[in-house]
Amino acid sequence: MYRSFISLRYLVARPTNLIGVVGIFVAVGALILILSIMTGFLEESRRTIRGSLSDIIVEPYFHGFVPGEAIPDRPGPMLQTLRGLDGVRAAAPRLQWAGIITQSGPDADKFQQIFSSSTHASLLVAELVGVDVLTPWRVAAPAIALSTRARAWVAPDFRIQDEFDATELMGALRRVAEDEDKTQDPDDELTELFGRPRAPVHNPLFPFQPPPEYVRNGRPLASCIVGKQLFRSLGLARGDVLEIGTVVPSKEKGWNLNNRRFVIAGTFQSRDNEMDAARIYVARSELADFLGDSKTFSQTLVRLENYERDGERLVREIRETLEERNLILGGLNARQEVRTWEQFRINVLRAIENERVLMGIMLSLVLVVAGFTIFAILSMMVTEKRRDIGILCALGATPRGVLDLFLLIAFWDAIVGATLGTVVGVWSAIEIDSIERWLSSALNVQIFNRNVYLFDHIPSVVQPVWVGTIVLGAFLCSLLFAAIPAWRASRLDPLVALRYE
Amino acid sequence: MTLSDEKGDVPAHAERSAGAVLRARGIRKSFRMGDRRLEILHGIDVDLLPGELVALVGASGAGKSTLLHVLGLLDRPTEGEVEVHGRSAWGLANPDRAAIRNKDIGFVFQFYHLLPELTALENVLLPAMIAESRRSFRKMRKDYTERATGMLERFDMTKRLKHRPPALSGGERQRVAMARALLLNPRILLADEPTGNLDSATGERVLDLLFEEQRLRGLSMILVTHDDRIAKRCDRILHMEDGLVLADSAITIPD
Ligand SMILES: Nc1ncnc2c1ncn2[C@@H]1O[C@H](COP(=O)(O)OP(=O)(O)OP(=O)(O)O)[C@@H](O)[C@H]1O
Ligand SMILES: [Mg+2]
Repeated sequence: MYRSFISLRYLVARPTNLIGVVGIFVAVGALILILSIMTGFLEESRRTIRGSLSDIIVEPYFHGFVPGEAIPDRPGPMLQTLRGLDGVRAAAPRLQWAGIITQSGPDADKFQQIFSSSTHASLLVAELVGVDVLTPWRVAAPAIALSTRARAWVAPDFRIQDEFDATELMGALRRVAEDEDKTQDPDDELTELFGRPRAPVHNPLFPFQPPPEYVRNGRPLASCIVGKQLFRSLGLARGDVLEIGTVVPSKEKGWNLNNRRFVIAGTFQSRDNEMDAARIYVARSELADFLGDSKTFSQTLVRLENYERDGERLVREIRETLEERNLILGGLNARQEVRTWEQFRINVLRAIENERVLMGIMLSLVLVVAGFTIFAILSMMVTEKRRDIGILCALGATPRGVLDLFLLIAFWDAIVGATLGTVVGVWSAIEIDSIERWLSSALNVQIFNRNVYLFDHIPSVVQPVWVGTIVLGAFLCSLLFAAIPAWRASRLDPLVALRYE
Repeated sequence: MTLSDEKGDVPAHAERSAGAVLRARGIRKSFRMGDRRLEILHGIDVDLLPGELVALVGASGAGKSTLLHVLGLLDRPTEGEVEVHGRSAWGLANPDRAAIRNKDIGFVFQFYHLLPELTALENVLLPAMIAESRRSFRKMRKDYTERATGMLERFDMTKRLKHRPPALSGGERQRVAMARALLLNPRILLADEPTGNLDSATGERVLDLLFEEQRLRGLSMILVTHDDRIAKRCDRILHMEDGLVLADSAITIPD
């Protein structure tokens, strides 16, 4: 009984103990908050990447093939094979190539300027992505396409939809359309503040249609859909003309420089800034033509009926089947040629995961520091309370009881600190988005730039298991650090303290 | 009481030790000073009978406090044995010995030794808090508090229950310490110069209270003192010199 009574009395009588409580509080609160945000980032990133990526990506190693026995450079056979597999809902080809933006827009002067500055160089390299939108299926269903309106359109549930869906373009276009709706809200201060330029394509079901404001003179140009960030940084507008140059291999000269003009049909937003700052979508046939028909597809995107259930099995099956039919290089390369979306973007996910672990380790140091404060305060207290310890022993306390008494002080520290820390940490993790908005407006600084990150809110996921682990860690840390002074107290000779005043 | 080397009075010795509540045999105590061993107690026998009031006198440095600490189970003797109520105490496990200190022996020190963070009443309750678990203490809290308050009231401390030691005078502090030592009704009380730090008038009153308690409760008590007048009020006087008990004078109380 005396242990809890006296330890509490000491705790209250010595305000320095508050330092230990505050230390534990800060450590637990920060750990919970930061880990929740990092987990939120990880999960949101997974979702986002997942949302814009098909389930399985087949990327044949064309360059590895020996001429003669080479596989078809048209996607037809591969698509047929994939679509024939059980569990595959859709498969669509995609062609990717690097391009350079050479000139565009109303003022070419600006491009002159950009070209003369090396800091803008990275903006000018674009990732050209050719996707199929006008498949035969699609052409066969024009009535449905026409009946849907530009914004609040309902995706028709047809096979063509699946093909379209298999490409990333679908989600990206939808996002711009949804954003457009959101910004109609006059209360959205951020839009006013940062003025997001938006240019959704006129008809999402026929995204490569030239926009209505495009004035045709002479030969009609092919359309392209530009990533939002790229669109903004170049100061473009829908209906502008973009000139893109590219280098393609040629049998005669080794390399050919090609260039072509595209009219901007609209923008897309993928939530992945790197993609939005560099990617330009065009029709696959147009890109293949641009590249001089040296290449017609570089990847095949596969959407499954149920990825969670069939994913692993189908990856293996696709590898085997395609290798058997000589549609991929196979062998040791098969692992790289056929990948799930997770394997495809594993670096990004790993980077966030690593960051989370690092943050956890760094913040655990705060906990160690808090533990050290407890150690220092208790050590002081044991020296100061020598006489009390002697008195307690004379009155019948055991060394074990003295040990418990000082451990209990750390225990109270941990209970108060960890409880406060958990409450504040969990609360702030849940409310982080509004807290940040409030802080931003109160301090007049943009703390979380919603235009830079993948998300328009600060994601956070409170995992009870982690909260439990953190609280347990706080207790262990406090008790471990308290054990040393507490043990010293229990070893004290009561007489040394009692003999003198 | 006998000199340690005196083997003469065997029957008296046997008779006395038979009913002793506290019995010590061949107590030696030495301290290590650097690489030298300094022997303070050179083999002492003590028998304390039920209800007996014994004065322990001797020059400063004779080893009175050291002996009292050994008898009170606070300090382990280098050699020898201490029996409390017939049980050999130093052979017991630590918690059992702590329980004897808690329940069977009361200690009053020269320097009061109260916990400064606790009120007078809480200080008195301390032995009960140590004895009881949290649950049993809660159950018996009222009893204990009544007993402690009653004792403090008897010691004229009614108005000082909620005061902390730093706000009390020396005499008041010693009364709190006495109440604390007596709370669990121990049969043995060891007092090491309880009035050594008080002026003679205050000391006199404190001592009167202590003697009265001893008489009422029939306590077996050893009182260390430098004051011959106080020693003469006791049943028996033990003279200590250089780590030995020299003489054991039974005093006939004048009527
Ligand atoms: N821990 C120790 N280490 C070394 N010497 C000690 C220790 N404790 C006591 N002594 C010595 O033992 C001797 C006896 O001390 P003790 O306190 O028992 O004397 P005392 O009779 O109580 O004296 P006083 O009347 O002044 O209280 C002293 O010389 C003291 O210096
Ligand atoms: Mg002494």
